[in-house]
Amino acid sequence: MTNIYMPRFDPAMETAKIIEWIRKEGDHVRRGEPIVKVEGEKTTFEVESPIDGVITKIMYPENSEVKAGSIIAIISEQAVEGGGKPRVKATPIAKRIAEEHGINLSMVKGSGPDGRITKNDVIREIEKARLKPVEAAIVKIGEAKILRRLRLSGLRKTISERLTYSHKTIPSASIAVDVDFEELIKLREMMEKSVNLEISLTAFIVKAVAKALRKHITLNSSIDGDEVTVYDSININVAIHTEEGLVTPVIFNAEAKSIEEISKEIKTLTEKAEKKQLTLEMLTGGTFTVTNLGPYGVDTFIPIINPPQTAILGVGSVKKRVVIKDNDIALKPTATLTLVFNHQVIDGVPAAKFLDEVRKNLENPLTLILK
Amino acid sequence: MSIIEVSSTGLDEFKDIGRDRILGMFRDMLRIRFFEERVEELFLVRGLLVGPAHLYFGQEAIAVGVCSSINPDDVVLSNHRGHGHALAKGIPAKYVMAELFGKATGTCKGLGGSMHVCMYPKLGALYSSAIVGSNIPIAVGVGFALRNTGRIAVCFFGDGAVNTGAFHEGLNMASYLKVPVIFVCENNQYAISMKASRGIAARSIAERVSYSYNMLCYVVDGNDVLSVYKASLEASSRVRGGMGPVFLECRTYRLKGHGVYDKAEYRDKSEYAEWAEKDPIALLKNRLLQSNMLSPREISDLEDEVRREIDEAELFAQNSQVLEFSELYSFVYG
Amino acid sequence: MGEFMRILTYAEAVREAVREEMRVNPKVFIAGEDIGIYGGAQKVTKGLYEEFGAERVIDTPISEAAIVGLGIGAALMGMKPIVEIMYMDFLPIALEQIINHAAKIRFMSGGELKVPLTIRTQYSLGRAHGAQHSQFFPSILLNIPGIIIVLPSTPYDAYGLMKTAIKGENPVVYVECCLLYHRVKGEIPDQEYTIPFGKADVKRAGNDVTIVAVSRMVHEALEAAKKLEEENVSVEVVDPRTIQPLDIKTITESVKKTNRVVIASDDCVFGGIGAEIAASIQEHVFSYLDAEIIRVGAPNTPVPFSPQLEKKYMPGREDIVKAVRRVMYLDR
Repeated sequence: MTNIYMPRFDPAMETAKIIEWIRKEGDHVRRGEPIVKVEGEKTTFEVESPIDGVITKIMYPENSEVKAGSIIAIISEQAVEGGGKPRVKATPIAKRIAEEHGINLSMVKGSGPDGRITKNDVIREIEKARLKPVEAAIVKIGEAKILRRLRLSGLRKTISERLTYSHKTIPSASIAVDVDFEELIKLREMMEKSVNLEISLTAFIVKAVAKALRKHITLNSSIDGDEVTVYDSININVAIHTEEGLVTPVIFNAEAKSIEEISKEIKTLTEKAEKKQLTLEMLTGGTFTVTNLGPYGVDTFIPIINPPQTAILGVGSVKKRVVIKDNDIALKPTATLTLVFNHQVIDGVPAAKFLDEVRKNLENPLTLILK
Repeated sequence: MSIIEVSSTGLDEFKDIGRDRILGMFRDMLRIRFFEERVEELFLVRGLLVGPAHLYFGQEAIAVGVCSSINPDDVVLSNHRGHGHALAKGIPAKYVMAELFGKATGTCKGLGGSMHVCMYPKLGALYSSAIVGSNIPIAVGVGFALRNTGRIAVCFFGDGAVNTGAFHEGLNMASYLKVPVIFVCENNQYAISMKASRGIAARSIAERVSYSYNMLCYVVDGNDVLSVYKASLEASSRVRGGMGPVFLECRTYRLKGHGVYDKAEYRDKSEYAEWAEKDPIALLKNRLLQSNMLSPREISDLEDEVRREIDEAELFAQNSQVLEFSELYSFVYG
Repeated sequence: MGEFMRILTYAEAVREAVREEMRVNPKVFIAGEDIGIYGGAQKVTKGLYEEFGAERVIDTPISEAAIVGLGIGAALMGMKPIVEIMYMDFLPIALEQIINHAAKIRFMSGGELKVPLTIRTQYSLGRAHGAQHSQFFPSILLNIPGIIIVLPSTPYDAYGLMKTAIKGENPVVYVECCLLYHRVKGEIPDQEYTIPFGKADVKRAGNDVTIVAVSRMVHEALEAAKKLEEENVSVEVVDPRTIQPLDIKTITESVKKTNRVVIASDDCVFGGIGAEIAASIQEHVFSYLDAEIIRVGAPNTPVPFSPQLEKKYMPGREDIVKAVRRVMYLDR
């Protein structure tokens, strides 16, 4: 007998949803064969059977929210009568009607001999199910006119859970700095002319951050309880906003990649995100997150850390602002960068030093191109 | 009822019968003999045939004598040892051979086999039963249908049949209903290994029948085709006349085993030798030579001719197709 | 509908069918023990000897094998014999002729020969006639391809089916029920009609349970249905009328509707006709069944003589009601 558990993609992930039972109770399955589709994190994932056998029991029906780590199915190496969960006894017509109406026979009480489920038992169950919704509709009539009701599910729910977790558990602090983007914009224009492609601003920021992290590597880490893991690989999560919500695919090994490469990757990942084609591999393994609300006109904001990472950098919009340069008033394109960090891992001064490094990198953009 | 003994005819009775008919009977007997020889070879030497085969060696005079004495529209019922009856009644050898090969061109389309070859309604070969004695009650029914038509039925069976219930029920019913049937018992002395004289608790078959069923019986030398012919001719005219059924006990010998694989080792060698001397074909052949009805040359030519017929029959059978399996269902109900 | 109707008993219905065919077709004749001068042991052939004479109504000695053989031989020659076996228990004496010859001649001759023979017989269960004069065992013939088996339950069916048997080209074993002969009356059109073989008749329509019943048990099933109606159980009674060929389509259509089936007949349950019908039903419409298929029939013993014991032996309406309650899960 082998248990199939609800996978946990992420320590922050409490539950996942069973989207579809690809194989049903009583089915023979081969090792490696997908048996259930679950939605967790920001993707759907197919759980495979680890052995050849028969699914003797399915614990939760489709559309159930199940705690990660719970047993969701049991597979036996053989279909054993006595071993494992007992066979559901139902008459052929009862099975047929149950299947037609999506009734789970294991939920039905049989009135026939030996607990046999008969046609009438199933019909009664169908009647019961039909009556329920009528009762539920009567409750909760408030004074405000309701436009619509939504239930948090899927991606939205995941985001909700993670952010709540982050907010509750991480003692975070934030520091901000204004960055002069004049040189960077000039450089960008030149580069775009020569390669004849749009280069995303975020790509420059990712590169700047990656370089800075190499010098302030402590910020490139994660924490689990008391244990901090500082990573050698610098993998930057880039926040991408889709209709469904926020997804943060990873640019792996960002410091080794050119701006062009990073820009192309961001473009590809955005497309994939919009088409919901992001896989688990694309979303996990990040060590630091960059989130750019600049395109939406936001000046400053304080992002929430992406656990279990140590820090996140928020980028505001680049606008022409009045600055003091050489004791005189000047008009420069600037943006505010806000670093939010986990105070358990690092203090304000090292964090500030890092942020300053980022600023320097951005204000001297040629250093980003040269190795 | 009386028992009439008919045996070896004298030479002058030849003229009654006529040269053509005698030569015809000789050819018919040769055909049966050569056919059976070929069947034996196909089974035992060449291994091309399977199933049962009860060969007619030594009994040719009975089938030929009887069938020559009746009309084409008279009806014959046969048994498991029916190759001789089939050929004597005029069924072309190729159809009989094809049936043995299980082909669709056989008399039963390959669905009957050796024990049912004598089934060709157009020529009056009506039905062949593989169950000993069971054709007797059916012959009664056939005779019942033929009452007042001038036609008769002839039912062939062996000494083994005379102890069955069907024999008793049938002959009693036949006499009771006065049906126009000739019952021909080919007493070849053996029912597989049971000697007739042992198993039949009566003084003779003819006596049993004569006393039990009030039926006229002929006792005939079954190895003399002319005697058989005479007896059968007389019997058939009586039956056509409406006197009711008549019984022919033809005494002969089964020169081979019961079936093609049976070596008949349970038989006395001297007994066999005695009967082998009285081979019906040899007997007629001598008569023909003695009376100068045929020269040795003519006889050998005739033999060659008949052998060629058998060759053609075998070729025909080999080249024929077998029925499609799906066709079987169409032969169960009508 | 403008049809004139006559009311006949079950026995009269058989007789009229035979008489009418004998009148129009000179090739039809009847034969059997005591069927002529005596009018038949159960008086079914009464009057036929007087009308058609000794040439066409043949009284035979006690020779069941020869009686059937007579029929087979005459049929082979184009006549239409109707032979009688006085009690079904005597059928085994003629079984060799039936199984080896009547059933197989058409096949063995590659379709060249036909046996248009009707074998009439009857079973006397319920008349205290003892083990050797009471048994009903048509399932024995189910296993013999080539034979048609007819089990009429009403005068209407008896007439139509006998007509089809005589006019047809196949060997038919036509099993009458003695208890139904003179007690059951029914309406029969004045105009000639036939009932095809292999066509079941829904004797009563219903929705909750199907009872497949033959011969005498059709009447028991109808009585059981009335009783069950009081308990709000709607019963459908299907009478196959012939079990070879069997109208499995009508039966399975009914089961699809009701999801429950009970099979009722006078033969022993074990190895009886219910066994073949039940196997067929589950093979065709398994996923429509809401319960086991239950067979109601006689116990697995020979028929006892003692009238009190025979009464207990005979299956009937109470057994059918019990079986229906079981498949409806009413006794929980």
